[in-house]
Amino acid sequence: MAKEGSQEPVIQLQRLTKLFGHGDATTVALDNLDLVIQKGEFVAIMGPSGCGKTTLLNLLGLLDTPTHGEYLLDGKSAEDLSERQRAKVRRNQIGFIFQSFNLLNRMNIIENVTLPLTYKGMRRMKRLTKASELLKTFGLQEREYYMPNQMSGGQLQRVAIARALVNNPSIILADEPTGNLDTKSSEIIMKELSEIHQQGNTIIMVTHNPDLTVWADRIIHMVDGRIDRDSKYPQLPEDENAKRPLNHYSRSTVRTTKGNS
Amino acid sequence: MIGNHIRIALSSLRASKVRTALTTLGIIIGVTAITLVLALGEGAKQAVGQQINKRGSDVITVRPGKVERNEDGKITGYNLTAAIGATTITESDLRSVQDVPGVSKAAPIMLITGSVRDGETRAKSSAIVATSPALKDVANLELRYGQFLTDKTNRQTAIIGNELAVELYGTENALGRQLTLRNQPFTIIGILKKVDHAAIVTGFDYNKSAFVSLDAGKSFNQGIAQIQEISVIPADQKQSDQVAERIENVLLRNHDGEEDFAVIRSDEAVQIANSIFRLLISITTAIASISLIVGGIGIMNIMLVNVTERTREIGIRKAIGATNGSILSQFLIEAMLMSLTGGIIGIALAYLIAIFLSGFVGYLPALSAPILLIAFSVSLFVGIIFGIFPALRAARKDPIQALRQLP
Ligand SMILES: Nc1ncnc2c1ncn2[C@@H]1O[C@H](COP(=O)(O)OP(=O)(O)OP(=O)(O)O)[C@@H](O)[C@H]1O
Ligand SMILES: [Mg+2]
Repeated sequence: MAKEGSQEPVIQLQRLTKLFGHGDATTVALDNLDLVIQKGEFVAIMGPSGCGKTTLLNLLGLLDTPTHGEYLLDGKSAEDLSERQRAKVRRNQIGFIFQSFNLLNRMNIIENVTLPLTYKGMRRMKRLTKASELLKTFGLQEREYYMPNQMSGGQLQRVAIARALVNNPSIILADEPTGNLDTKSSEIIMKELSEIHQQGNTIIMVTHNPDLTVWADRIIHMVDGRIDRDSKYPQLPEDENAKRPLNHYSRSTVRTTKGNS
Repeated sequence: MIGNHIRIALSSLRASKVRTALTTLGIIIGVTAITLVLALGEGAKQAVGQQINKRGSDVITVRPGKVERNEDGKITGYNLTAAIGATTITESDLRSVQDVPGVSKAAPIMLITGSVRDGETRAKSSAIVATSPALKDVANLELRYGQFLTDKTNRQTAIIGNELAVELYGTENALGRQLTLRNQPFTIIGILKKVDHAAIVTGFDYNKSAFVSLDAGKSFNQGIAQIQEISVIPADQKQSDQVAERIENVLLRNHDGEEDFAVIRSDEAVQIANSIFRLLISITTAIASISLIVGGIGIMNIMLVNVTERTREIGIRKAIGATNGSILSQFLIEAMLMSLTGGIIGIALAYLIAIFLSGFVGYLPALSAPILLIAFSVSLFVGIIFGIFPALRAARKDPIQALRQLP
């Protein structure tokens, strides 16, 4: 425990709740979630479909705002940020990696990688040089001018990782980065992520594949919008959550709405 | 940053070339229509203004028909029909005008309908004008060969315009040749130098006309002078207003107080012509604007489709750090690039068409900076007006919803 106290955590969530919809159709995607993530951690988040993993990543990545609860990013509250400032944080501190790669199909590979730098206002030549260097480290220097539809899923995901890294973000958020890939490509991607982690980056990765958690140094299991198990705190009693007073959204409501969606 | 936005917008536009081209076409048509109307209208206005001014700014014209003036003496209306219809101006009016103090020269213009021939060769669209020697000074005519009418020249002599000479005789030097006007023989005693102005309301072209004495003109018309116009130069330019007023009073007396004629100074003639053109130009511009609005709606339509189709792209861009502002700029710039390109092509096309048309309409379309500026800013304006709504829609998209959309 003393280890963490020495430095400021990158991410602190306090009783974070996210609701979708109104009235009877309300879904509790995140339910009073508490979480602290230190700099340099490689966190794997697991859990059944619909338990709120993507919602959590979106909130961490400032793409979405919590219904209530507190989110401190680098010790600063994310609540007071304007839309502009949030975009700036996304651009400078956060790198997203998606299951479906999410490259822009009309742009070639290198343009896709430079895109975050474009929004930063960097000069074109400088951008291209930087992206080119990065693509080289991914062994993709020969594909710089390929279009996304000319490449394999594994290659696309490496391009997406390059794009996420190009701004030297402090946090990488990866939502099932290997979900669309075969075992071999998955392995390559995981090695890349592991390398990035070894360079001191914080990585938060959602995955359904238990085999991949070996790459992570912390595994969090989520159920119904809250943390069920956290490998970092195995001493925490299994039924700790259950002892907490139930909030006014009953579990059954949550299940019903989830069943509908 | 703006350079990046333009590059992003350009690459998006390139990605759907046919769509971009068709949308731009709508603007091209609109801007071409507006520019063409403005250029032709302005050109016509300038041409008429020049023609009037070339005759000398001090010419006073007496015409049939009545003008309406307000209290300051400004012309507010002119009865064109009366001006073209049967004339009310007589030879005695001419004599009275000549005797008005301060009048230096007064020349009548009597248009005679009839053929102009050399033997069997008949001249096309030429006019026979009966006038007095004074026309030479009043209309600033110069002679290429021979002489103009004088008090001594006889009835059977004629002076012809430069183009008429070439048309009938194949040469400018037609001195001494025979000319048949309304089946009467005339001898040519003078050929005019090329004149680059036309008579305004009477509308004949000096270069294509044959000029005979008023006496000869009367002989074609049962001895009566049917004068369509009297052109007067005052002795002193500064006295022009007073002279015009005196002429008016004299003629009013001649016409028993009936104001069936108009005394117009040449600046007023420009003013009349301008007000007629201004009205025509604004009506046609309004009609042409409709096509531009349709073009603008085309842009809005396509941009809305673009925004919907690219919802996921918007989500991705926001996820990697685009602000609402940059998304707005991207889509707005796309719309503006289409409308500006359309505008520039439209302007170019309009001038090509105008130059082509100038061969038919007989004057050069005005290629003025204000018209270019109007066309350019109008197309920019259309891009902004019709692009802002789709762009706002794009900027306001929720990144989460946008990313959830299927690719
Ligand atoms: N934009 C939204 N509008 C309404 N409900 C939503 C929205 N996003 C998520 N939800 C709901 O919130 C709950 C959590 O969704 P989330 O996408 O975070 O799950 P997940 O753990 O990522 O699932 P999966 O493993 O299938 O990706 C689900 O019940 C889902 O239906
Ligand atoms: Mg998910």
